[in-house]
Amino acid sequence: MRHLIGVVALVAILAFAASFIQNEFYLRTLFMICVYYLCAAGMNVLLGYAGQKSLGQAGLFAAGAYTVALLTTLYGLGPWTSLLVACVVSGVFGVLIAVPSLRVKGPSLAMVTLAFGIVVEKLVAEGSDIFGGAMGIYAIQPLTFAGVPFTTLQWVWFGLALCLATHVLLRNLLVGRFGRAFLSLQADEIAAGAVGVPVYRYKVLAFVIAAVTCGLAGALVAQQNQYINSDFINFNLSIFILLLVLFGGSGSLYGPLLGSVSLVIIGALLARWTWLEHFVNGALLLFALFAMPKGLAGLLGSLGARFNPGRSSAATKVVSDLQPKLPTRNAEGGAATTLLTADNLNKAFGGVVPAKDVSLRLTRGHIHALIGPNGAGKSTLINMLTGVIRADRGAIKLLDDDITQRKVHDICARGVARTFQNLRLFQDLSVRANVLLGQHSRMKNGFFSSLFGLPLAKREEARALMKVNAILQFTELLQHADTSAGSLAYGLQRRVELARALASEPQLLLLDEPAAGLNPQETAELGQLLVRIRNEGITILLIEHHMDLVMAISDHVVVLDYGQKIAEGAPEKVQSDPRVMEAYLGTTVEAA
Amino acid sequence: MLATYIQTLVSGLAIGGVYALIALSFSITFTTTKTMNFAQGEFISFGAFIGVAALLLLSGLAGGLTAIPGEAAAGWRYPAAALIATVVAGVMGVLIFLLAVRPFAGKRGMNWVMSTIGFGVILQSIGLTIWGPAPVMVPSPLGDGVLRIAGAGVRPQELIVLASAIAIMVIFDFVMRRTRIGKAMMAVAHSPQTASLMGINVNTVMIGAFALSSGLAGLAGVLIAPIASASLFMGLGFALKAFSGAIIGGLTNPRGCIYGGFILGVLESSVGLWQAQWKEIVVFSLIILVLAFRPQGLFGHASIDKV
Repeated sequence: MRHLIGVVALVAILAFAASFIQNEFYLRTLFMICVYYLCAAGMNVLLGYAGQKSLGQAGLFAAGAYTVALLTTLYGLGPWTSLLVACVVSGVFGVLIAVPSLRVKGPSLAMVTLAFGIVVEKLVAEGSDIFGGAMGIYAIQPLTFAGVPFTTLQWVWFGLALCLATHVLLRNLLVGRFGRAFLSLQADEIAAGAVGVPVYRYKVLAFVIAAVTCGLAGALVAQQNQYINSDFINFNLSIFILLLVLFGGSGSLYGPLLGSVSLVIIGALLARWTWLEHFVNGALLLFALFAMPKGLAGLLGSLGARFNPGRSSAATKVVSDLQPKLPTRNAEGGAATTLLTADNLNKAFGGVVPAKDVSLRLTRGHIHALIGPNGAGKSTLINMLTGVIRADRGAIKLLDDDITQRKVHDICARGVARTFQNLRLFQDLSVRANVLLGQHSRMKNGFFSSLFGLPLAKREEARALMKVNAILQFTELLQHADTSAGSLAYGLQRRVELARALASEPQLLLLDEPAAGLNPQETAELGQLLVRIRNEGITILLIEHHMDLVMAISDHVVVLDYGQKIAEGAPEKVQSDPRVMEAYLGTTVEAA
Repeated sequence: MLATYIQTLVSGLAIGGVYALIALSFSITFTTTKTMNFAQGEFISFGAFIGVAALLLLSGLAGGLTAIPGEAAAGWRYPAAALIATVVAGVMGVLIFLLAVRPFAGKRGMNWVMSTIGFGVILQSIGLTIWGPAPVMVPSPLGDGVLRIAGAGVRPQELIVLASAIAIMVIFDFVMRRTRIGKAMMAVAHSPQTASLMGINVNTVMIGAFALSSGLAGLAGVLIAPIASASLFMGLGFALKAFSGAIIGGLTNPRGCIYGGFILGVLESSVGLWQAQWKEIVVFSLIILVLAFRPQGLFGHASIDKV
């Protein structure tokens, strides 16, 4: 609330101050700051939060600009309606540009977005029948107030109002569930899916947010100038939008503001020498990447921290002294029923067959262990159960629910959580944020309630925070809650990943070598922790090589070798099985 | 009618040869360093203009011409200019690797995409101050007449481009598969860590890869200049289409990239036969289709993320 009052007051002061400016050039500069702020704010969601490099934002700018141009000149639609339609159209283009991102990653995706920008640039330049080419489109209707076109001052006011709205809405979105989900995409897509974030949906959403704000900016420019031509739309515009975010501070809420204010002013100062402007932009881009990876916002932030130390480190209080209890979902069916069945799973990677007719039955409330020599297909089995890898043949059922074909995040939402053999934490995020991401699938606030900061979103966030504190206490991580996960000791990182998995309130917890790299002391503690988790009613399947741990805590052991199940049963029974000894020791054990 | 088809095929193969060279240049750095130069377009343009400057210098003409007279490119001068452009672009490639790629390579966030772009923006504005925005007509060393082959009109430069592209690619393929240097590059491509344990100087190989890649881009610029005329804005389009070729063929498969480049060139010129202004749209739509159905390219292998 304090924040809201603060920004409203700031914008009101700016609007009031602007009304004293007589100089048309200064007013226009202010308006352009607003326009580029809009572009940057959306781009920040895409680049700074979701971590997707889009090099074709000029194409989306064009989508908005040409939509209002064509609608108001050819079809005689009103300026306000056209502005709205322009936002929708650019949103649709945002989906289009996001589609390749579902299949390609990394540099190829960057190149595809670049190609998108170039195609639009060519389209508006060559398609002179419709888009007017370099001649452009004249007589675009400007926005009106009571039938009278906006004055430049009114444009500035309107721009400021839009910036205010964009900032408040995006802030609502980014500080909670959605912001965390975007950040998880940037950090590790596979882990994001595994904690219940629908990766593709969120990627498309990030692209659409960036597209709508960029299209809105384009439409405003076209309407304010009452003219648009193909010279506006070029690769340098795309780069400039990228630069706004990088220079201002990508991934920071105030980065886009700092970026647009500083760069538009620099641009206005250099306006006389066009070639120099591009040179300076290129140099600033390199400078930002080298010297201030967190942009102006990061620079100011670290200065602020220096003069005001100790402000950010709010000590975490212990919530209660009672024995902490894990948040769990209501179990369907009683104890000792079958929770998960896998029937005849098969998987082959070319000639390597990590799963051959593997069947598995997991009993609720038990600790199951999956053992076997390296390369036996243990991790592949867990990957199939969680949907990371699709089985070639076979069926997996969670209670009565067939999950064989379900997506990773969906399986997580249904109550199967996992950890990874080679830790996949969101390294730059705090321990608390990591565990909060585990809560993602359990939170009920959707896009709009988050965007508008409705009570539901606030309630859900508070509830998730409470549950996460309980989990942190349960796993004895509370004192590390505000540390970034990547800076913790290895053993603690393993425990954070476990806590993150617990946060999705799973029925079944799949642990891929949770004791790998732990010392004997830590391994023993882990064993106790796992038993406590089991006692909360959570079923566990763990892959482990520490046999003393496996034998001490498991109720049931499954042995895999060369993709086939060779034995299963109680620990003692499996231990004495000659086939298991053969698999581990490599020779047939003679009857002594 | 047949003559038109032959003509289309030859010019498609010629332009495809240039695409193949540039596609190969992307593949070389991508396989060895997992990065590539997003300013490759500027390197192509610079290659063309350095070639032009070399032609003028070698024939003792003044600069600032919008059309280079034919005799400037005659005889040994054109190959010499091509060599100079290749070398200069190669040196620029080493620079971009050291300044813009290496500080960010292998780290999360792919900042090298943005840093190479920034480098390109700077290059382009430098180029504009030196050579200006106007395109320059560049003569072909074999003259600008038209050869008649089975009734089809073929420009001699198209044959030069095709022949040089094929020759370079054959040499490259031989070097990669048969020599120690090639084997070292392939080793680095598979795993830089393991390669360095085997005593290969990974850093040198990576610098070499960027020099080679940029040199190829510069050469492509000189080869294409007599057909498309040199302009500082021409590079981006060529680079993008060549990258599309690389995607079609599979970015990690050098031979695939070459096929992809040729396929794209022929396809583009056939579309041009039908509707010239649709060329770009069709080409890029094709890329998106390929990506949708075979993200690893037609000749590439799917890579499996080990979890």
